[in-house]
Amino acid sequence: MALSPVLSIAERALLANDTALEVVGNNISNVNTPGYSRQVPDFRAGEPVVDVSGKLVGTGGEIRAIDRIVEPLLEKRLAGAETSKQQQGALSDQLSALAGVLNDLQDPSLSSTLSSFFDALDALANNPAGLAERQAVLGRAQAVAAELNRRSASVATLQRNADDGIVADVGTANDLLQQIAALNVSIASAETGGQKANDLRDARQQAIVKLAGLVAIQTQEDARGGVSISTSNGIGLVTAGTLVHRFAVDDGAQGLDGLLLHTPGLVDDAGNFLDVAGTFAGGAIAGLLAARDQSFPAASTALDTFATTFRDAVNGIQQAGFDLDGSSTAAVPLFGGTGARDLVVLLDPAADPSAPRRLAAGTTTNPGDNTNALALADLRTTALAALGGVTLSDYLGIEQGRVGEDASRASDAAEVANLLQRQLENQRQAVSGVNLNEELTNLIRYQNAFQAASQVVRVANAVLQDLVSILR
Amino acid sequence: MIARVSNSQAFTLLSQRAGELELSLRRLQEEIATGRRITSPDQDPAGANEIIRSQSNLAALAQYRSTSTFGVTVLGAVDQALSEAQNLMVRAEEVATQQASGLLSDAERVAAREEVHGILQALTSLGNTEFAGRRIFAGLALNAAPPFADPDSPGYDPANAYSGSTVEFEVKIGGGANERVRITTRGDQVFTDALVGVAALENALATNGDVRATIAGLAQGRETLSAERASVGARQAQLVDRASQVADAKAAEESNLARAQDADLTLVLSQLAQAQTALQATLQAGAKVIQTSLANLLNL
Repeated sequence: MALSPVLSIAERALLANDTALEVVGNNISNVNTPGYSRQVPDFRAGEPVVDVSGKLVGTGGEIRAIDRIVEPLLEKRLAGAETSKQQQGALSDQLSALAGVLNDLQDPSLSSTLSSFFDALDALANNPAGLAERQAVLGRAQAVAAELNRRSASVATLQRNADDGIVADVGTANDLLQQIAALNVSIASAETGGQKANDLRDARQQAIVKLAGLVAIQTQEDARGGVSISTSNGIGLVTAGTLVHRFAVDDGAQGLDGLLLHTPGLVDDAGNFLDVAGTFAGGAIAGLLAARDQSFPAASTALDTFATTFRDAVNGIQQAGFDLDGSSTAAVPLFGGTGARDLVVLLDPAADPSAPRRLAAGTTTNPGDNTNALALADLRTTALAALGGVTLSDYLGIEQGRVGEDASRASDAAEVANLLQRQLENQRQAVSGVNLNEELTNLIRYQNAFQAASQVVRVANAVLQDLVSILR
Repeated sequence: MIARVSNSQAFTLLSQRAGELELSLRRLQEEIATGRRITSPDQDPAGANEIIRSQSNLAALAQYRSTSTFGVTVLGAVDQALSEAQNLMVRAEEVATQQASGLLSDAERVAAREEVHGILQALTSLGNTEFAGRRIFAGLALNAAPPFADPDSPGYDPANAYSGSTVEFEVKIGGGANERVRITTRGDQVFTDALVGVAALENALATNGDVRATIAGLAQGRETLSAERASVGARQAQLVDRASQVADAKAAEESNLARAQDADLTLVLSQLAQAQTALQATLQAGAKVIQTSLANLLNL
């Protein structure tokens, strides 16, 4: 009888179960670590050997590897879902902010100030020589102009914030590209011995998902464990440990605030800026771009259309009449400015106390003539061609509906994308997440096995002692 | 694949579901606090459009009603003045008829002439009537000089006594450009016949002229006043009807607005109770699931 193989088998069992207990401990300690994939020891039976009696005897168990439990296809789908979620979420956030800026459902609103302006004109029509009525018209006109100025500036600020977000995201994306390249190197180095660098792979996958949240990407793992990253239109970003292209921003078109916006793109090794269509087809940057380049300019254009139409309609009537002193107002417009951002009331009582007298309430110099004031008041219900054949108020209502519809649609899309991502994350958690009960069971299992192996050592030792005592 | 649940899933599910329910509660709370179903256009884009249109319509209707009331008031003052002028013309015709008989003494003729002059002055005064500082027979001009000349002024010509505004003042009672009602009448168009007739009578009395010949002119003056009164009455009725229509339209529009904007408190309170119950159940169930662990059972 040879005792050495028994002790050897027991030793391997002790080592294997000790490692298994370490794996369980690692799983338990990472139960709440985002992106962590549970690990399991891969127990295998040792190669059998022929003993002294010529029989084929086992050599005990051992851990060949510590496996990281992941579903690669699921990981890819999860990255894609993150792209969609962040894109729709960013767009939804921006459009929700836009709906808040243009909200006409809470006073004071553009709609209510416009109604007040027309109320003041009605009052002027009933008392065209009344200075109080004239003062009220100018005050209400200033309120309309101020509200349009505020809205226009707020939309411009939203656009600038979106642009700042794009610049920041580009920087973050570059940091992530560097992390992924570095992890590719570390993983290749760590896995040269045939072992899987599980935690490094988790870290890399986390970085990939974060990057996918910013910009749509494609990934491909090579034989050495490195992951190549490219944009959704096929432009390489990372190959093994090398950054092929980096994200960058260049000066772009003029923004609503008059300053330049940034065009996101790529730069190659030589520093050449590449603005390739389709590079930012998904992710948070795409959502911000859609809001910055489409939604905000459209809202701003609608405000400008309203402002200029309002200005021209009012000025057209104002300039066709006579003021309270019987002078022609042909050269005395009420509103100035080129759009919503700079619409201004030119008859400012603060600057000129006689300004209220310059309002043209009549089309003649006859005292009491209110025909021009009536014409101005008629604008409340006049369908204007420049607004597509609807009234000023209806235009605001339609715009409110359009902005609300865009925000609502984006919110729905974001919710769907969020649900899909959540469902996939749930699936990933079901496969790769840590279950404490499972780990505790394994803990007991490996503890028992370790104790049993210890017992084998004790028995082998006892047998050896017996043999030694016989020899004495 | 064996179905398994990670601990992270249980916590995530609990926090997500509780978060969703808390969001629902916040929205319901906002509905109850504001009494409004929609506070942002993205909650109901079509409803937001409807609310803005209704609010704009209500503002316009309030103005039409206010303007109609103003018009009725002004026309009431016009009617009062015309009524008094009519009475004066009736008296002038009576004087003319009496004097035309030729049976009265010279003293009575002088007294009659003085009375007729008083009528002429009273008619002029009515033509210069002010309402809240505005001349109702001169285009409602504010703080304007009397449009009719004083009969005692040198060179007085009753046919050209009017020098006021030639504006016909209209008020807006609807959205259309033609939905307007005239609430004034130019003084020269309504008083000139009467002034000419009374001045002719006074002249006939002063010069021992043919008083009978002035009766037709007086009748013409009275009829002109009478015709204008009828017109004023018709316009007053139109404005009263319009005010009534506007009140009905306002009620209908307010109903529309309430439907689009107001929260259904019964429904909202019921939803609030549902959401609260669901949140409590979620938290309790979550707490139990989270506490159920092998570690507890094994006293580890």
